[in-house]
Amino acid sequence: MTFTQARTLAAQVRADFPILHQEIHGKPLVYLDNAATSQKPRVVLDALQEYYQSYNSNVHRGVHTLSAKATDAYEAARDKVAAFVNAAAREEIIYTRNASEAINLVAYAWGMNTLQPGDEIILTVMEHHSNLIPWQFVAQKTGAVLKFVELTKTQELDLDHFTSLLSDKTKLVAVVHVSNTLGCINPVEEMIALAHRYGAKVLVDACQSVPHMPIDVQAMDCDWLIASGHKMCAPTGIGFLYGKLNLLRAMPPFLGGGEMIADVFLDHSTYADVPHKFEAGTPAIAEAIGLGAAVDYLNGIGMDAIHAYEQELTTYLFQQLAQLPEVQTYGPRPNSRADNRAALASFTTGSVHPHDLSTILDQAGIAIRAGHHCTQPLHRYLGAQSTARASLYFYNTRDEIDTFIAALKEAIDFFGSIFG
Amino acid sequence: MSLDNLRDLYQQVILERYKKPRNRGKTDPVDRYQKGHNPSCGDTIELTLKFNEAGDRIDDVKFEGEGCAISMASADLMAEALRGRSPAEALEMVQKFQAMMRGEAEFPQEFRKLNVMQGVAQFPVRIKCANLSWHTLKAALELAQDAPEFVSNE
Repeated sequence: MTFTQARTLAAQVRADFPILHQEIHGKPLVYLDNAATSQKPRVVLDALQEYYQSYNSNVHRGVHTLSAKATDAYEAARDKVAAFVNAAAREEIIYTRNASEAINLVAYAWGMNTLQPGDEIILTVMEHHSNLIPWQFVAQKTGAVLKFVELTKTQELDLDHFTSLLSDKTKLVAVVHVSNTLGCINPVEEMIALAHRYGAKVLVDACQSVPHMPIDVQAMDCDWLIASGHKMCAPTGIGFLYGKLNLLRAMPPFLGGGEMIADVFLDHSTYADVPHKFEAGTPAIAEAIGLGAAVDYLNGIGMDAIHAYEQELTTYLFQQLAQLPEVQTYGPRPNSRADNRAALASFTTGSVHPHDLSTILDQAGIAIRAGHHCTQPLHRYLGAQSTARASLYFYNTRDEIDTFIAALKEAIDFFGSIFG
Repeated sequence: MSLDNLRDLYQQVILERYKKPRNRGKTDPVDRYQKGHNPSCGDTIELTLKFNEAGDRIDDVKFEGEGCAISMASADLMAEALRGRSPAEALEMVQKFQAMMRGEAEFPQEFRKLNVMQGVAQFPVRIKCANLSWHTLKAALELAQDAPEFVSNE
């Protein structure tokens, strides 16, 4: 794909996102905070509106027409998600509120009930807090021990170090697929194959990969994979857990309540089969249907096309950042095909603190993230108190990168001018 | 870029204090010590106070920390303004500063340097940056028995 064609991709889709067509402080919005949350296309907004206007009803309960329609749409969305990540069965997809809840589900239902004192959980220093704190809970409760894979000199996952940590004590590897801070794409297939040799289970945090590239859970052979809807054009309040069917069936329920039961007595109950065993209470029905609409929308563009276009944006973003000597980026530099990293750049400048930078860019209509991006241990490891982060999606353009770079340069000059 | 708005926020004094703070370090001796932070952004401050012999006046204030221009300049200006004040006067200044951040007050002539922080009131998400040092000062002066290691400004 040439850049000219790729520009056409963004140009084709931008009209689908109503929110992108507005001014912030009198400047066209340049939204570069997609790793935090993506924007929503009109088809997703329409799906929410249609549900609430024409068939709002509770699922799996009523025999009336609207309830049947809501149930069909809710379960059809599950089929779409299952196909999107190539799950072997639709029952392998559990809806959750978000990625954190999905990881907590595994931590409580599997980790708390399975792990023994001295068992080892391997994480990495680049984990998002959501894939760290639930395992701290598990370790504190069970006596399991946390081990952390460190980084190479190029700030990528150190596969040799990972290999050296594996042993018969390893019971779980929980690893982020694409770092939300470093942008590196971790070799999860290789890690899973290695971990399985020791009989360890592997959970993949795919929040930053599922929205941006084709994912095949069967080819990956992960035991669990989690993602959040709102980073992939769907509403907030919906995420999902993929798990191998036999594993999910063997896990006890996480939350108790309505929906997840088979037969209830005053003193005991039997539970529904998966997936409903893990979906206690009235679920986020509209949001699940919205997630289905988002999956349809992404499939309509094609995940291969999205990934290829984002690789070109990545190359351009890093080329332009390299023009500013004051800017230090984190994570690996993109290779010639930019297939080693995601379309985001965490960076610092010598003179402008990330929060000041974010305020200054906001005045230019540009939304970036500043702070520790929920990876505080990684920031400590990198020796950076906080970083600024520009993260892209398929609706971002080369022109927007130019606008961002010009404003970044102006901000550096503005701070420098006092002493110039 | 709306440079006019930004020049209200990042007045020259603020950028100068950020680049070349005058009150960084630790007092000798350290009569009061308090750490403060803004957990969501990671800004931290370690504030130290030295009192006079009678213990009724603040002789010196110093700070260490990491943060944005707003939080660090605010700490530096605060340290300077506190010298010679009684703890009660300092606590009144905390009130006054927080009122200024709400756009409800400004400091009298005697403390006019602190008024350069007024521009922050126009940037609601940054008010907590300017308040961090003052919030930490309040904890240092009130010496609460159950104070956490860090006082949180959020």
